[in-house]
Amino acid sequence: MTSIDVQNLTKEYGTTRAVDHLTFRVLPGRVTGFLGPNGAGKSTTMRLVLGLDRPTRGTATIGGRAYATLCDPLRKVGTLLDAQAAHGSRTARDHLRALAVGNRIPDRRVDEVLAETGLASVARRRVKTYSLGMRQRLGIAAALLGDPEVVMLDEPSNGLDPEGIVWIRELLRRLAKEGRTVLVSSHLMNETASFADHLVVLGRGRLLADTPMREFIDARVRPRVRVRTTDGSVLSQLLAEHGYEAAAHDDGLWTVEHARVDDIGRLASAAGLIVLELTADEGTLEQAYLDLTASATEFTTTPARTLTQEA
Amino acid sequence: MPFVPVLHAELIKIRTLRSLLGALGAVVLVTGLFSALAGLDSGAGEEDFDPLFSAFFGVSFGQIAAVAFGATAVSSEFHGGGLRATLAAVPRRGHWFAAKAVAVAVPVLAVGLIAGGVSLAVGKAVLGADANGLTWAKSLRGVIGCALYLTLMALLAAGLTALLRSGVATLSILIPFLLIVSFVVGGVSGTVADFLPDKAGQVVFHQTWNGSLGPWTGLAVTALWAAGALLAGAWSVRHRDA
Repeated sequence: MTSIDVQNLTKEYGTTRAVDHLTFRVLPGRVTGFLGPNGAGKSTTMRLVLGLDRPTRGTATIGGRAYATLCDPLRKVGTLLDAQAAHGSRTARDHLRALAVGNRIPDRRVDEVLAETGLASVARRRVKTYSLGMRQRLGIAAALLGDPEVVMLDEPSNGLDPEGIVWIRELLRRLAKEGRTVLVSSHLMNETASFADHLVVLGRGRLLADTPMREFIDARVRPRVRVRTTDGSVLSQLLAEHGYEAAAHDDGLWTVEHARVDDIGRLASAAGLIVLELTADEGTLEQAYLDLTASATEFTTTPARTLTQEA
Repeated sequence: MPFVPVLHAELIKIRTLRSLLGALGAVVLVTGLFSALAGLDSGAGEEDFDPLFSAFFGVSFGQIAAVAFGATAVSSEFHGGGLRATLAAVPRRGHWFAAKAVAVAVPVLAVGLIAGGVSLAVGKAVLGADANGLTWAKSLRGVIGCALYLTLMALLAAGLTALLRSGVATLSILIPFLLIVSFVVGGVSGTVADFLPDKAGQVVFHQTWNGSLGPWTGLAVTALWAAGALLAGAWSVRHRDA
């Protein structure tokens, strides 16, 4: 199967180290979210994988081969790096046609991806008349052009409207289900949480995490239970007796740290307490991510720098 | 990767940009127009009157359009990350740049032949009897020379644009050079000025020549300049981060 392998990858621009001894694998059949603040090295890593920038050290391969050695690469790897890449004076259709012809992709794929990305009706309009969201769709159309096994998208939801965001989410899930290797960078946590199965997290060019998303959240966010009852004082006493740490909010709502709904439910029932609400407060990716970046001290002591290459 | 599909893609890119088609049209228009104007005030009858040079006088101005075409064809790849998308599609950069150079050369060569033909026809018509000294062989040499010269100048601009990664930078070097430097030092014959890319190539538009370069050796010198610029551009494309 075709995976993306990054081995000890390092890229220095002058004295700045944009990517620092990075090693990870992106496997097929799942969506891998590529997270990190601006300037963490996500885009640089993608460019290194594509052979657009030369690594200072290390290697990046796709299915065991360097990208530059692929014949008709768009048929194996589809990428969106920059929504502004299409020349404004060309029509979307002409832009895609030039890409298709160069990689010996049949012309009918051009119309197929235009339809798939919802651009069919504007395909003969100049790209400069497009909104950012439409350009983003055109970039995704270009990525899908060669029906590739590997799809790599840099911030694909940028500029998309709400329908577009739902669309890209479903598209990514479908591509992974079809067995493709999907790597999607983002700095939007809730967005990534909605489609990613696996996470690769960067900070200052270094690998901070490479784990399944669920594990990533569970390892960092303590499970909580929210419970609402008619008698707060009894609940508070009951929880304290069993060693739970609880905090009261308005409307008789309590949050219990380190707790599971099964335990709290049984406890309340045994005590004959009337329970009006009982919900598990699952950790969000955002919480887990902030926890991770807070523990990686360099984030908090210095502001995230922005590399010009990221712009 | 085979070369032909990559070349085909580059030709599509040229064909689908209006500004490039406009520049090609301008090559014919400007060359013809200035050759006609030159014929009106040709200085016919003077001792050093050269009907061939008069008929192809417009090339000095048409070349600006050819240079703009070559520069724009390459600089259009440097718009907002465009080169990355291009090189992701064709990772063999030497291949890509060779295809780009051919895609620049072919249309300019074709348009150059037309411009040469138009220029000759218009120039001769305006000169009238003054053009009688023009032989068929010299006229043909002028037309072919026009096509080759414009192609080489467009390639020179293309190579320089790849090296500088900017069409604006290229044009702001080449246009003043062609319009000012060459006109100023051009009068001084028999010096290094003869070997400047435009002066050397333009010998082909003269009936007689007395410098060290003839019509074809002159074009060969221009070709060396263009080759140098293309090699420098190819080096830049291959070795720099996209």
